[in-house]
Amino acid sequence: MESSGGSEFDYLFKLLMIGDSGVGKSSLLLSFTSDTFEDLSPTIGVDFKVKHVTIGGKKLKLAIWDTAGQERFRTLTSSYYRGAQGIIMVYDVTRRETFTNLSDIWAKEIDLYSTNQDCIKMLVGNKVDKESERVVTKKEGIDFAREYGCLFIECSAKTRVNVEHCFEELVLKILDTPSLTAEGSTTVKKSNIFNQKPPVSDASTSGCC
Amino acid sequence: MDSKKIGKFFDSIGDFFTGADSIPWCESDIVLGCEREVIAAEKDSSEEFKSECRLRLSWALVHSKRPEDVQRGIAMLEAALPSTSDPLQMREKMYLLAVGYFRSGDYSRSRQLADRCLEIAPDWRQAITLKKSIEDRIKKDGVIGIGIAATALGAVGLVAGGLAAALSRKK
Repeated sequence: MESSGGSEFDYLFKLLMIGDSGVGKSSLLLSFTSDTFEDLSPTIGVDFKVKHVTIGGKKLKLAIWDTAGQERFRTLTSSYYRGAQGIIMVYDVTRRETFTNLSDIWAKEIDLYSTNQDCIKMLVGNKVDKESERVVTKKEGIDFAREYGCLFIECSAKTRVNVEHCFEELVLKILDTPSLTAEGSTTVKKSNIFNQKPPVSDASTSGCC
Repeated sequence: MDSKKIGKFFDSIGDFFTGADSIPWCESDIVLGCEREVIAAEKDSSEEFKSECRLRLSWALVHSKRPEDVQRGIAMLEAALPSTSDPLQMREKMYLLAVGYFRSGDYSRSRQLADRCLEIAPDWRQAITLKKSIEDRIKKDGVIGIGIAATALGAVGLVAGGLAAALSRKK
């Protein structure tokens, strides 16, 4: 995966990050978009970052929406599920309740508010740099992902282990899902104020034979 | 690292022309939903729940695409700030007010508030992003201002030049 500047792209994907407060959603996003890690103050409402990348030979513009984990913002954040092609569910491998809340809260939120039937879900166990404090095993993560039909990865926003890999895998899966990249889908466009080109016609015919 | 910087430089040029900023937008139906929530909460909810609902509504208003919503959000937050004693709530409202002023084009007031947020919490990422957006916008307006001034100066120069030429011909 390489970063590509500029405003031209083949696809625009909307990705959403959800999960309990303090699991490291914003840190993960920051680690991915600007190669830095900080302890961050809680997100107010919703935040977002844009990153241009080239994955699977396609130029992509990723609009990544980072939601507040705090319950008091939940009615607000739930509105941002609509239209997302990918949803990243984050938990903290050192805090059991952030994992159990996935099935108690977050998976239900997706069922309620996601508008894209084929939207790709990804389960992410963060903070693997704190291996000695780990309470949720990798196997538990794998089992959850299998049950709910999500992709799964463990990573660390702090050491950046698997961070790029996480987004890359999610995006590859989206690219591989015709209904999410099909033309006419509202978020697929290729435009630039200097260079208005007609939309790519073979948008969904790429991929495997 | 250098190539990354160059990439960022070009990205920012792109942003310069497209006017993209990094503060999220809020659709009008979300504003409406928050509005209903506030009305429903007024009846028989705890003071805490009411203030949570109001905070969500003000978030939605200042992030709205409609200027009248933004104005309403600003008014709501301005009214709520003096009676807010909790420091965390205070700084959240200050941040939202800064977003409101940013969206309504009052960059100096927006920057003042963003600076105050960063005094309280220097590592506050959303406030840092907001401040950067404000500064980018001020810079952009400045460049456009200089452009206008330069064009005006050029016109003056042309007239003056013409006059001088005309005068020298008379001599």
